[in-house]
Amino acid sequence: MEFVDYLQAVTDGVMQGAYYALIGIGFTLIFGVMNKINLAYAAAAFGGAYASLGIAALIGSGDDFGLPPLLMFLASAVAAGLFAWIVYTICFRFTPDHYELATLMATVGAFFLIEEIAVHATDGEPMDFPEVLQGIIEDPMIEFSDAFAIRGDLLTIFLLALIAMAVLLLLLYRTKLGLATRAVAQQRTAAQLCGISVDRTNASTFIIAGVLGGLAGAMIGAAVGVLSPLLFVPLTVKGLIVTVIGGLGSIPGAIVAGLLVGGLENVFLALRGITERDMYVMLLLFLFLAFRPQGLFGKKVLRD
Amino acid sequence: MDDFTWGMVQIVGVHTILGLSAYVILLTGQVSMAQAGFVAIGAYVAGMLTVLAEWHIIPAMVTGGLAASVLACIVGFPALRIRGLMLVVATIAFGEFVRLFWFNFDYRIAKGDIVVGPEGGEGFKQIRFFPENGWTTQDVAVFVWVVAAIILATLWWMDRSRAGKVLRAVGEDEMAAQSVGINLTVVKVAAFTAGGFIAGIAGAIYAHYTTHIEHLNFDILMATFAIAYPILGGLANVWGTLFAAFFIQVIVIEVLRDLGDVRNLMFGALIILVMNFLPHGLFSAKVVRKLKEWMGIGKMSDA
Amino acid sequence: MKHQIMFVAAAALAFAGTQSAAVSADREVHVAGFGAKSGVVRSFGVNTEAVMRAAAEKINNEGGIKLGDGTKGKVVVTFYDDRCKAEEGISVVRRIASGKAVVAIGPTCSNVAEPLFGVLQKRAGDASDTGLQFPIFTDTAIKGGLAKISEWAFRNVPNESQMYQSLFKWVKKENPGFKSVFGGVEEDFAHSRFTWYKVMETRAQEAGFKVLGRVKWLLNDTNFTTQVRQMKKAKADVIAISSHPFTLCGVLKEMKRQRVKYKQLIGLTSSSSLETLRGCSKQAKGIIIPTSFAPVTAAAKEAAAGAAKFNGSADLHSAAAWENMFILKGVIEKTGVMAKGDTVQADRRKIRDGLAALKSTGGLIGGIQRTKEGEAVKPYVYVHAQGKEWKILHDPRK
Repeated sequence: MEFVDYLQAVTDGVMQGAYYALIGIGFTLIFGVMNKINLAYAAAAFGGAYASLGIAALIGSGDDFGLPPLLMFLASAVAAGLFAWIVYTICFRFTPDHYELATLMATVGAFFLIEEIAVHATDGEPMDFPEVLQGIIEDPMIEFSDAFAIRGDLLTIFLLALIAMAVLLLLLYRTKLGLATRAVAQQRTAAQLCGISVDRTNASTFIIAGVLGGLAGAMIGAAVGVLSPLLFVPLTVKGLIVTVIGGLGSIPGAIVAGLLVGGLENVFLALRGITERDMYVMLLLFLFLAFRPQGLFGKKVLRD
Repeated sequence: MDDFTWGMVQIVGVHTILGLSAYVILLTGQVSMAQAGFVAIGAYVAGMLTVLAEWHIIPAMVTGGLAASVLACIVGFPALRIRGLMLVVATIAFGEFVRLFWFNFDYRIAKGDIVVGPEGGEGFKQIRFFPENGWTTQDVAVFVWVVAAIILATLWWMDRSRAGKVLRAVGEDEMAAQSVGINLTVVKVAAFTAGGFIAGIAGAIYAHYTTHIEHLNFDILMATFAIAYPILGGLANVWGTLFAAFFIQVIVIEVLRDLGDVRNLMFGALIILVMNFLPHGLFSAKVVRKLKEWMGIGKMSDA
Repeated sequence: MKHQIMFVAAAALAFAGTQSAAVSADREVHVAGFGAKSGVVRSFGVNTEAVMRAAAEKINNEGGIKLGDGTKGKVVVTFYDDRCKAEEGISVVRRIASGKAVVAIGPTCSNVAEPLFGVLQKRAGDASDTGLQFPIFTDTAIKGGLAKISEWAFRNVPNESQMYQSLFKWVKKENPGFKSVFGGVEEDFAHSRFTWYKVMETRAQEAGFKVLGRVKWLLNDTNFTTQVRQMKKAKADVIAISSHPFTLCGVLKEMKRQRVKYKQLIGLTSSSSLETLRGCSKQAKGIIIPTSFAPVTAAAKEAAAGAAKFNGSADLHSAAAWENMFILKGVIEKTGVMAKGDTVQADRRKIRDGLAALKSTGGLIGGIQRTKEGEAVKPYVYVHAQGKEWKILHDPRK
């Protein structure tokens, strides 16, 4: 392989890293306010993408998707926000605060439940998902040379993801809701004393994270072109790895780590082949844990 | 009892051992999602010993367990520095790393007219020590339960000794435990090592009672089951894990099999329900106390 | 230990409860089916069950099966979900073997079949081998060479080695100008991997093609850009892809984006199902796949209609269950199976011996040869994707 091939691999990977970043942000947001893990997060995100397919099928007929791709992204985001709220209610709301194992296990249960509902609705078959620019430009490719080209649809997805991230940051740093969220994340008791409803803040954080997840789910569907329950576990794992490398609770960290993992993963693939690619991703994580356990931008956690 | 029931007895036994491997580590407050990796090591090592080196199952099993425990011990040290979500992610990554290692591992030798041994993505076939040596399903079930009983008894005894109190003290409040002179390093690494050994034993039996293993057997789903048994059963004592393994493998998976499609939908829903209504497990300290009162036993004997 | 004994007793009771529910009249021939009805391979189990029930209905409507003493018995089908998990598959078969079923059809997953066959007795009648003695007649699990693991295991699945041998030869004959083949393989799945390395690659070379290389991806990958780029660079005439519908669709879509040029696409036999068409009918257009089932004969059409009636579809995998039901009917009638409560084990042995003795059987699209190892050599046709259906491209028997 020549240099340009590596450049190509990194470019493709970084653009696809955008959805690792979105999923990583979701994990990190929830961890930030609740100090707990939501293992059903990626599953709920794909649940949104499946729901958007369902809605499109209701509206459309035959071969056509009933909705233009961008509306499907929106439908997926709304549905996933709703699912995230349901996951919050059945897994977090009533399980004990101080015993995180119960919550962890409940989210595993929710993962199984969402996965199985998707399987039952589709018989587990791969579902055709429209490309983001379908109907506008067919299979756009921006070709710079024979050896280097950028997928137009992936670039669109990448830009959409960046916009979503910017909106999220605005929401967190420029609105009251964001202030409340950050307050609960920093000092829950103090926030409560200031009259912030922790429960409502938690629920809204889940919904925000869910909406981002729904976008990511639809983006993955659009980037691959197919949705399958096979995606739930690997995207959960990659999302978690991104969260840790970025630093727990750090949104900029999750963004950078998502792009980093996406890009490096493709380099590992080019260098070592598919069977070893993920082993090197794991090694990268181990390196971070050994030498920079607080992640890229995380603060040192003394006690939790 | 028929062959099927003995087969179920085997499965409950192996899954109890799997659950106990996570139980020991959970007592110290650490969630290990790496158990499937340790199981894989036990399974491949023991399988290679009985198939390629023609060892007896018992030394092969113990060696498989030891191999897994060595690795678990090595994992235990870095695991000291991290906890909570970080540890969950780190151990998931480690488990996957081990799985991918076996996916890339190819070591076969000719034996008679066939070639045997692990063959990367194709898996490791024909691990037939049990049927080739005349062990019936019942013999295997008894063997599994002798092993499970030894592990149960050891852990139960440990739970009641000072060692158990130390583990639980670390699990409840690390700093408090440290301040009364408990050496966190020793305790946490020991828990990981013991958990790895037990998981390796479970793997050795798993390889032999399914006769064929491949890397996909040892995925995150298996790791999730390992921690699900003690969490669903409750960490009050070892019986919770046993009860949960029985509940999931026999009631949910086997008895409800007749429900057909509904079974799989119920699986996730049941876990959510249990965690909402009995967050400390089916067999939590509170439930145990209530049961004792209800049965009119002031102080439960050694069951 | 008191608790453990209690649990075991409770377990036994629980099973007794579930099993007594199925008790009814004694002249019934119980045939069990098992396979995955959950997870991503759920459609396999759904289809096999539908086909088995349709075949049983047809057999019963035509008077049932003639038993050893001349009376007629009805076929009763029970189907179990094994979730495509080895442990569950073994447990399901032990459960079936503890009941009244005389034979089982399944499993759907090769990763269940391989361990399951290992649990069976290796050589029938070998008293020193304590393996399970129960005949299994597989319809779906297709990975090459599994039935030889045990003499109790039989399969009626297509012989990929032979199918691809003739397919590559045919492609070469029809298009002498095609010189090279490039491969794509789903690397971490036992079946697709086996079929590429041990079947497609060698068969293509034998047919006079130059294999320029191969790219690999994993079962649940989402990113194929790097691999497809390599595929494009190779500029092969024929691209052969050994992977299941999900990644097949992902790769085909990426190939279209990158505008990979090829003269012919060849796919894995398991992908000649509705799944591929549902996932990417446009991109799959023209892909040739050899398959052992297509609704080309009256019998095949009847099987397809029957499956549809029970909410399934007959494809190359599940249609074999229909054949298996009728092959078993023949074997049961020929070997004098009694289907009485006290003859279950003897009946199973008769069926095993009967299946082992078969040299050829009928099939939906033509006669099937049977090998000594318990495998089938099935007739096959080449189909290609056209719109929302698979159309027959060529029948090599003609």
